[in-house]
Amino acid sequence: MTSPQIELEHVDKHYGHFHALKDINLEIGKGRFVALVGPSGCGKSTLLRSLAGLESITGGTMKIAGETMNGVPPRRRDVAMVFQSYALYPHMTVKENLTYSMRLKRKPREERDKAAKEVAEITGLGNLLDRYPRELSGGQRQRVAMGRAIIRHPKAFLFDEPLSNLDAALRVHMRKEIRALHDRLGATSVYVTHDQVEAMTMADHVVVMREGVIEQAGAPLDLYDHPANRFVAGFIGSPAMNFVEAAVAETGDAVALEGYDGAVLPLGRKLEPGRRVVAGLRPEHLSLGEPDRSQIRVGVGVVEFTGAASYLSSAGEPELTVFHAGRTEVRPGETVGLTIAPQHVHLFDPETGRRVG
Amino acid sequence: MARFIRSVRDARGLDAVLVWLALGYLGVFSAFPLVYNIVISLQTVDLFSLASFERPFVGLQNYRDVLGDPVAGTVLWNTIQFVVLSVVFQLAIGFGLALFFQQDFPGATYLRGLFLAGWIMPALVVGAVWSWILAGDFGVLNYVLRSLGITDRNIFWLSDPNVSLYSVIIANIWLGIPFNMILLSVGLAAIPRDVYEAAELDGAGAWQRFFTITLPLMRAPLGAVISLGIIFTLQQFDLFAALTQGGPSNASNVAQYWSWQLSFQTYQISYGSVVSVLMIVFVVAVAAVYTRSTRHEQSY
Repeated sequence: MTSPQIELEHVDKHYGHFHALKDINLEIGKGRFVALVGPSGCGKSTLLRSLAGLESITGGTMKIAGETMNGVPPRRRDVAMVFQSYALYPHMTVKENLTYSMRLKRKPREERDKAAKEVAEITGLGNLLDRYPRELSGGQRQRVAMGRAIIRHPKAFLFDEPLSNLDAALRVHMRKEIRALHDRLGATSVYVTHDQVEAMTMADHVVVMREGVIEQAGAPLDLYDHPANRFVAGFIGSPAMNFVEAAVAETGDAVALEGYDGAVLPLGRKLEPGRRVVAGLRPEHLSLGEPDRSQIRVGVGVVEFTGAASYLSSAGEPELTVFHAGRTEVRPGETVGLTIAPQHVHLFDPETGRRVG
Repeated sequence: MARFIRSVRDARGLDAVLVWLALGYLGVFSAFPLVYNIVISLQTVDLFSLASFERPFVGLQNYRDVLGDPVAGTVLWNTIQFVVLSVVFQLAIGFGLALFFQQDFPGATYLRGLFLAGWIMPALVVGAVWSWILAGDFGVLNYVLRSLGITDRNIFWLSDPNVSLYSVIIANIWLGIPFNMILLSVGLAAIPRDVYEAAELDGAGAWQRFFTITLPLMRAPLGAVISLGIIFTLQQFDLFAALTQGGPSNASNVAQYWSWQLSFQTYQISYGSVVSVLMIVFVVAVAAVYTRSTRHEQSY
């Protein structure tokens, strides 16, 4: 890993009595693509806007490319931001939008035209340079917003939910395009989203936030495989992880689920016997089988088909969701068996929510 | 009749009724007086022929008479000064205040609301207040100026021919500021905040943001406010009635007040209508500019 491009040390942000960011520590290496993800109000946008200088932090230090940025106005930070609303200048053509920053720096016309042409090439805006934003589709506006950032060769790209105003198909397409652009430009990117799929597919480092706190940060698959707590476990992965209260068995190497006739799941690891835990079972790790030869017996409540996969929901409480690749003959009202491999049983402390074992 | 009622109930007839009501109102109270005014301006009208439509037609003779009147030049120059100075200062101060109240500080909205107080007062009342402020011998303004040592003798704001017009202009500027401020505030509020943020990140300082973002995006509201300002200023009658009555010796007389004087004080009704017809032509031109500027409003 190269030297960090963005460093946050003990960053705090208060709005009056509201503590929006609590002791944020984060290092982002040069050329990395980092996603900040979490539910609404978790502080991810506040953190991004603080990086841009649009919000001021009330504690800690914030460095970009080694320089302390506390109190430095946005225009002196050399970072570019892509807004959720795109925030294009409505009275300027695409070309004028792209070259606004260059005009402010009084760059000569030839240089601006050349840069606009290059960026238009990269972002696929070639023949739209003379259009006004109101004459563009959502996807095209999105590209202009990106082009406006690219043309500046900034120290970092900041993305604030840039895809949330696009339709689903375009969103999937732009996801790949943004990632490809990032790689091609060798840029450092911070990407805010509430969509964990976006975070998982685009970023090489995912930061999960809740209520102003970083809950866990790491590589996407690390978060999926080893969630540090119940919140991250429930947030990462779709459909969401099932949680069932359970107790560690006398032997210490299995847990008994509550509400499923004392179904016992082997753990392959030793824990304190009798300890109360919450078992986390991902829908895609539960496999269907014969009731008598499985670990858990459940009555089927609802079966949904998407064509490629089937989703089963149990009739009992707490509800279990099962992801089954392909189709199934199982119908509501029947009883099925479920099996899960020991390494896929996640355990969390019922009080603190922290990972156990 | 039953068919008529049914057609009103099924919306189609109702549409027609509503349209005709509006058109009827405009016809009776706007179009007819307007046209009648033009007709009068081409006839010889005195108090005896006032009640009849059959009056001697004199073509453009009335226009020649009015424009040949030595007072006409004074009134025209006064009107130009009155409109230009009023609109420029109303706009500049109103825009400044609108920008000021756009900043986020505690109580901004309440203070802005207070500014409306001046606007909701009848102009005659405003005129009365200003006539006390500007009074030559006991006026507040003279007292303030003397206390501050700016002048050592009373200025007769309303009766000195050199300043009387400017006294009315000052009162009119005061009266027009709230309207300008509110309309421009609405325009400023419509500019999305993140456009400014994007500009800030693109490297624009406060002045650059004002000249490259605010000003161009405020083109339509500014056009509207200027046009309406000109129209309202040309309608300003009460202040003249309350402050100077156009005096002394026409030193502060303007077209709209002169037109009223000709028609209803000296009963040269044709001459009065000539002045108002000329004003209508000008106002229509301004109104055309106004409608054009609202058509170009930005969408975000």
